[in-house]
This record gives sequence, C-alpha cells and structure tokens, in this order.
Amino acid sequence: MTSLVVRAAKRTAMFVAALALVVAIWEAYKAVGPADGGTLLGVRVLPRTSDYAMPHVWDMFSRYGRPEVRGSDRTVFAAVLAGAWYSLRLSVAGFVMGSVVGVALAVLMARFKLVQRGVLPYLVVSQTVPLIALAPLVVSWGGKLEVGPFVWPRWLSASVLGAFLAFFPIAVGTLRGLAAATATSVELMQSYAASWTTTLFKLRFPTAVPYMVPAFRLGASASVIGVVVAEISTGLKGGIGRLIIEYAREATGDPAKVYTAIFGAAALGLTMAGAVVAVDAFVMRNRPRASVS
Amino acid sequence: MTAVSIRSTSKVFNAGKPNQVEALRDVSLEVRGGEFVSLIGPSGCGKSTLLRLIANLLEPTAGEVIVNDKPAARARLDQDYGMAFQQAGLFEWRTVQKNIELPLELKGWNKAERAVRAKEMLHLVQLPEFADHHPWQLSGGMQQRIAIARALAAHPPLLLMDEPFGALDEMTREYMQGELLRICAATGTTVVFVTHSIPEAVYLSSRVVVMSPRPGRITKTVEVSLGADRNEDTRNRTAFFEAITAVREGLRGLHAAHVGRGSDER
Repeated sequence: MTSLVVRAAKRTAMFVAALALVVAIWEAYKAVGPADGGTLLGVRVLPRTSDYAMPHVWDMFSRYGRPEVRGSDRTVFAAVLAGAWYSLRLSVAGFVMGSVVGVALAVLMARFKLVQRGVLPYLVVSQTVPLIALAPLVVSWGGKLEVGPFVWPRWLSASVLGAFLAFFPIAVGTLRGLAAATATSVELMQSYAASWTTTLFKLRFPTAVPYMVPAFRLGASASVIGVVVAEISTGLKGGIGRLIIEYAREATGDPAKVYTAIFGAAALGLTMAGAVVAVDAFVMRNRPRASVS
Repeated sequence: MTAVSIRSTSKVFNAGKPNQVEALRDVSLEVRGGEFVSLIGPSGCGKSTLLRLIANLLEPTAGEVIVNDKPAARARLDQDYGMAFQQAGLFEWRTVQKNIELPLELKGWNKAERAVRAKEMLHLVQLPEFADHHPWQLSGGMQQRIAIARALAAHPPLLLMDEPFGALDEMTREYMQGELLRICAATGTTVVFVTHSIPEAVYLSSRVVVMSPRPGRITKTVEVSLGADRNEDTRNRTAFFEAITAVREGLRGLHAAHVGRGSDER
C-alpha cells in the first residue's frame, strides 16, 4: 500500500517537473530568442518571440480570471469550464458508443476467424480517413435521419465522430486480450464442456482486462479529439472546440486567450483518461501487476 | 470395472497435408477402476495426445475411446474426469476458493454447496488457510495442489494429469508425489498420469506404460508391485529399483531401435 502511495507521489512529481521544464523552455526562448524570429535564406526557421506570438505563461493563466469580453461579468475561466463540460458530455457519449461497437467487433472477430480476416483490414483503413472530411458527411447523413419522433440532434454528429476514433483502439486491444487466454486454460474450459459464451465470460474477458484498460484509455482521449475536431469542422456551438476557434480569431488583440481554451481541451482529455485509470485501479486491485505492452 | 478403454486408436494430425504428423498408431489400453497408470516415453511420443484423446479434447482418427463405459465425448459432457496440466492454470482474478469452485459453478451448483465442497477440497490438499488468497500469492507447489483440488472438486471417478509436477523442483516434486498418492487413496480416484520421469512413474503407478517415439505405440507395460502403501522408504526398496530398471530398459530398447532405424533410412 505504502509503495503504491510512494509510486503515485513519484509519478506526480515527475509530471510537475516535466510541466515546469516546458514552461522554463518556453520562457527562456522568449527571453533570449530574436523578437522577429530567425530567418535563414528568407525561410523562417525560428518562431517570433513577441508577446503576440508567444505570450508569457503567467499571462495565459491570469487571462482565466478576467472577463471573457469587455464589460461581461463572465470570466474566461467560467466560459472554458462551461465549454469543457459540454464537450465532456459529448465525449463520454462518443466513448460509450465507441466502446460498445469496439467490444462487439472484437467479440465477433474472436468468434469468427472469417470476420476477423474480412473486417480487420477495413478497420485499419477506416482510421486513415481524415476526420475533417468525414465530419460534414456525418452531419448531413444524420440530418436526413428521422425515425418516428427521433430527430438527429446536431451534437450527436460530434459524438459519433468521437466514437469513430474511439472504437478502433478498443476493438484492437480487446481482440488481443480475448486471444490472450493460455492454451491450458482453454483446454480446461473444454474439459468442463463449457460453451463458447461461458468461456468468453468466465475466461476470455477476465484475461483480456489488462489489455483492455490501455485500449480504453486510448479510446477515451481519442473520443475527446474526435469531438473537439468535429465541433470545429461542423461549427457546433457550446463546446471547447468552438471556443478554441473563437479565441484564436482574437489572437491579434488578445494572444493569451486562445491558450486558455487549449489547456481546457488538454484537461478534458486528461480527465477522460484519468477516469479510465481509476476504473482500472479498481478492477485490477486483486491482480498481480504485470505489464502488458 | 473399466475406467478407460482405448481400442485400436490412431491419431494423425493435418491428415493429407504436407505437414501431416502421425502421432499415434494402433494404440490399445485398458485402465481398471482405482488403477494408477503412467504413460512414459520420449518427447513427441504422443503420450499427451493419448491423454487428450481420453479427455476428448482431441478426436481419434481411427478406433474408439471409452471412458466410464461411455464414448469419450459423452464422458466429457458429463464431466466424468478432472484434469491437471503442467501449468497449474489457475485463474489469477479468482481467489483460491473460487478457483476450486469453477467446475462446480459450471455444473450449476449453488453458492452454499460450492463453498462447502471447496472447503472440503482445501482440507484434502492441506491448504485450508489459503481460501481467500489469490493464486499469484502461492508457491508453484501450492498452486499445483490447488489445481488438483479443482480437478477433483466435482468428485470425478477419473483424474487425467499431464506432467503436473514437471515445472516443480525435485524436493517439491517428491513431496507432491506423496501428496497425490495420499489424495488418490482417500478419494479412490483412477489416475492416468503423463510424465517423462522414470522414478516418478514407478513411485506413483500400479502400471507404467512405455511408449515409442513417433508414431506413438505402446511397446511395454511394467507392473509395479510395490503395494498400495507407499512412503519415502519405498524409494529405497529393491522392487522400486527393479521396476525402474524394467522401465528404463523398455525406453532404452526403444531408443536403440529408433536410432538403428534412423541410420537404416539414410
């Protein structure tokens, strides 16, 4: 138990140190770098260090406390928080959809080798389609979809795109996990005349857990990326992706502002991944700590 | 009563393909109820294949396998046997007790019945205080005892063991052999035991079956007349050494014949 605490403390310390290093490099370059950047034979090889191009780190953070627009009583912090909360809900929806689809595909592929041979290459190809190209398509398909009283809400397109990025690592990781049961334990289940479904739930899924956790962690942050990109490319209002675009437009007058939204998006991804890690710690509490790469 | 009856059974893997392997050729063997029979032979002689035919984890290419007076497939569905492997193969996410309960769970026993039987089995293998431990907290020998407890939990009349002590050190191994004999005597279980250790086969068995290299055939059967009551002193008895010599000669004869045949082919 104490070793766990020590390990957690060490990890936190490393994280803080890494963050401090990035801040130090940023500020150091800003202090010594040429204000107009560096050009070599007419090509800019070093970024400009002016306050417009590289605002001070403390300016970025103090920006959180000031009003979003002049005269408003809503701070940037409140706006970013509201945007992040909105995007978080879309990401969770996308993550859940991606998980269901990913695990279902993995089970089908594990059950039927033919499905695996036929589907797996397409899964790989699906991830090479640029999300930006896909986003308007999903919006227009969704817009045409109307089943009884169900009308496709705009936000659902963003969640679907989050799911599109999330399902892939989940499907691949789960498939690997389902195939990881040892020959001995499979024979053991056979000797008990256990059905494929029984073997799936009593043996294969428990064996797969250490493979599924990192896959779900990847899927969680992937769904955030999908949602944020979808918000930007479909112009969906209310989320952190939209804030990044809006604040970026103000960069000439208010360069620190866009960073507040970028940090918000990063925090969102960390929150999602962190939630998966917490679930992992709970599920794996009685298992030996073996690393699965 | 006949526990296992193997009649003119052959097994060919990948029949008709370039990687065809003839694992067993025309094997016949009868195991009576209460007997302890060891299968011994060089690696690749098909002894594990033969065990898997009895367990119906493999289907024979020719011949038939009768277990407990029914076809092997029926016997597997009825769970007429328990099985233990070289790897204990315990489920790491289950406690020791839950591991022992696994076969009972699959048979549909209720929770209370399962717990009672699991406790009983833990006493049988003399590890009652480890019920709530997880497998990875136990030594290799302890894990193997739990695997035996799991194999016997449903009180099957037959126990099939595939080199169960192969991964243990010599000291633990001899201790486990004594434990296995004690457990089998207490439960009256028939055992078919695969090993490549001659002293292990002789110490445990009422009969040692010697098999030839591929294609596997039964070339010699050695009756071990050491009686039912065996202990550490048994390993010093003349009859023990005589049986070891008999098995060794069986294996050596094979080896010579095999090498001879190999050079003829060239």
